[in-house]
Amino acid sequence: MQQFLDTTLGGLVLGAVYAAFALALCLIWRSTRIVNFAQAAMAMVTTYIALSLINADVPYWVAFVAALAAGFGLGALIERVIIRPVEGKAELNAVILTLGLFMVLHGLTAITFGVQHRGFPAPVSTNAIEVGDTSIGITPFGILSIVVVAVVMAGLVVLFRFTDLGLRMRASAFNGEVSRLLGVRVGRMLTLGWALAAAVGAVAGMLIAGGDLVNPSFMDPFVIYGFIAAVLGGLDSPLGSVIGGLILGLSLSYVTGYVGEHLAPLVALGILMVVLLVRPSGLFAAAAARRV
Amino acid sequence: MRTTARRAVQAVCVLTTASLLAACGAGKERPSEDGTAVGVTDTTIKVGAHFPLTGPAAPGYSEIPSGHQAFYEYVNDAGGVHGRKIEMVVKDDAYNPTNTSAVTNDMILQDEIFAMVAGLGTPTHRAVVQRLNDDGIPDLFVSSGSLQWGDDPKKSPMTFGWQPDYEIEGKIIGKYVKENMPDAKVGLFLQDDDFGEDGEKGARQFLDSQIVDVQKYTPGGSTDFSPQMSSFKSKGVDLVLGFNTPSYTALSQIAAQGVGFKSKWFYSNVGSDPALVGGLLASMTKGKIPAEQGVKLMDGMMTTEYIPGVDAPEDEWVKLWQKVWDNYSKKGDEKLTNYRIYGMSQAYTFVQALQANGKDLTRESIVETLEKEGGSFEGPGLAPFRFSEDSHMGISGTSVVEIKNGASEPLTPVQVTDIGDAPIEEDDSAASDAPPSSGIPE
Repeated sequence: MQQFLDTTLGGLVLGAVYAAFALALCLIWRSTRIVNFAQAAMAMVTTYIALSLINADVPYWVAFVAALAAGFGLGALIERVIIRPVEGKAELNAVILTLGLFMVLHGLTAITFGVQHRGFPAPVSTNAIEVGDTSIGITPFGILSIVVVAVVMAGLVVLFRFTDLGLRMRASAFNGEVSRLLGVRVGRMLTLGWALAAAVGAVAGMLIAGGDLVNPSFMDPFVIYGFIAAVLGGLDSPLGSVIGGLILGLSLSYVTGYVGEHLAPLVALGILMVVLLVRPSGLFAAAAARRV
Repeated sequence: MRTTARRAVQAVCVLTTASLLAACGAGKERPSEDGTAVGVTDTTIKVGAHFPLTGPAAPGYSEIPSGHQAFYEYVNDAGGVHGRKIEMVVKDDAYNPTNTSAVTNDMILQDEIFAMVAGLGTPTHRAVVQRLNDDGIPDLFVSSGSLQWGDDPKKSPMTFGWQPDYEIEGKIIGKYVKENMPDAKVGLFLQDDDFGEDGEKGARQFLDSQIVDVQKYTPGGSTDFSPQMSSFKSKGVDLVLGFNTPSYTALSQIAAQGVGFKSKWFYSNVGSDPALVGGLLASMTKGKIPAEQGVKLMDGMMTTEYIPGVDAPEDEWVKLWQKVWDNYSKKGDEKLTNYRIYGMSQAYTFVQALQANGKDLTRESIVETLEKEGGSFEGPGLAPFRFSEDSHMGISGTSVVEIKNGASEPLTPVQVTDIGDAPIEEDDSAASDAPPSSGIPE
């Protein structure tokens, strides 16, 4: 029973982190209709920026905000300089471009910061919380991760559903030409979409790195797992991304704890296949109506 | 007229071919007169090795080649071995077997190495061991404790191990636990390859009834070990034996704290370097522990030891390594570490083998020398090598130690054994070997 509880709590925290990452993918999809494979690499860059600040004795939360700001700037920059020239061409062009970007960012980070593993601190304790005599399998940092992801998700839902800006962003992504005719500054919306997504990615990077080791490829498993979580929930839905992330985190945690770590990637791919076969648009997508 | 033209064309062809051949041969020195081995001239010996200079296995391991290179420089400055200077080519395989094959190919065909010396890693080196043996290239002192480098010399006649294999390490750990902690409920934390398998095999000889849980991890996979630690916790494990690499020691400690799992820890020599692991642990919990106290987090952990390390600065061998490192390190500001000592100790054995071989050096002769004389080499190892015609296994024993303040305190004398059901015996005789005053094997 204790193990089940611990494994579940661990799975929730892991799921929250996948969810954060899936949110960033979802955000870019919602605002630009492309899947950004460079998301992990961009988050890795911002995490390294935060680590450099922390190692220079800047307080953790200042570094956290700096990572967010760096993500925002990086996202905007990449959209303006790299993605914009292929806008309006086949969507595949932009997707392939993000794959190339993934490699370039990897290489640049390795050159700038080195390839060795480095510890990344957490802002709060990473020791299990004790209740009376027994310790339960969740840490203050784990709880913080879940809270942060919930806040980010709520923020995005509010942005897209209840604000004029969110509507304009969705409109730009859905049909740029018509939006332009209606007076939406589509270019600006696309830039903003990338910037916001990269900022959310930066949050995910900080949560993944906290109390762990970082190196230029530390985010790589999240390219796959985050993508699976996002597809699971339907790329279009922030709530779906979070639930997809949680389902994936829990599944992987149970498999690792009860069966064996070597089966975890297989299970993740199994889940992806089942979802794509049974419900290709994801568990929470409302896209079917649009496909007419 | 036509004939003349044809002659001219022929002449040009011949000349071109000749100059091409000459160009291809340019830069190559004549092979040694005393032996005609690739990679050996009258004045040089070229060796190569693959190491993870990047990637998850790089922390620590990437320092090993710098130890080799410093010691070879030291020997070269003193005139080399039989007049030949040693040159070492180091290639990065990032601990990825596919890369290992590619860089080994480069070293064989382009760099034309005489021998592979100290190529690192079980999964990585396994990818090239067949190739090296098929091509008759000496494959000396593999930096890994897998059994496969030495237990079957008929299958891999050119390959030699160096460090104690994981099976005898597992046996020695198992015997210690059985005798000193007979009531411990043991959990195994294993790297999911030969490393974990061999260690488990050794430990089970003594602990089969005490082991209550086995958890594994894949190198390069997930770094969150909470599920594994939860499983240990629920099964009441109070002693974990870890056959894992250094980063995973740090990660398993963090994960154990994360699920509130408290236990005694016993890590294989490979994953236990206090300076490296302590540094990683401190940086992951920055703000609560000053970096210099990171090693304190390792207090009370047990491990094994088979060569003296940086925590014993008064040891004659360590004094020698310090002297070599102070004078020959390429990066002056970096400190001597246990990984660099490991590299220098391997380099010492290689120089010893070259000395024993004499001036007539061939690929076959170095193997023969090791089989005939390797078993009696005196070096930094606390126990002798097992080299013979029937075994290419490396150092035959270890002592059990406990880590305190970043230093190791011996819990047992040196225990010597062999694979299978060979008995474990105390034997301190090789531990008292001292280096020659020149620091270069004679």
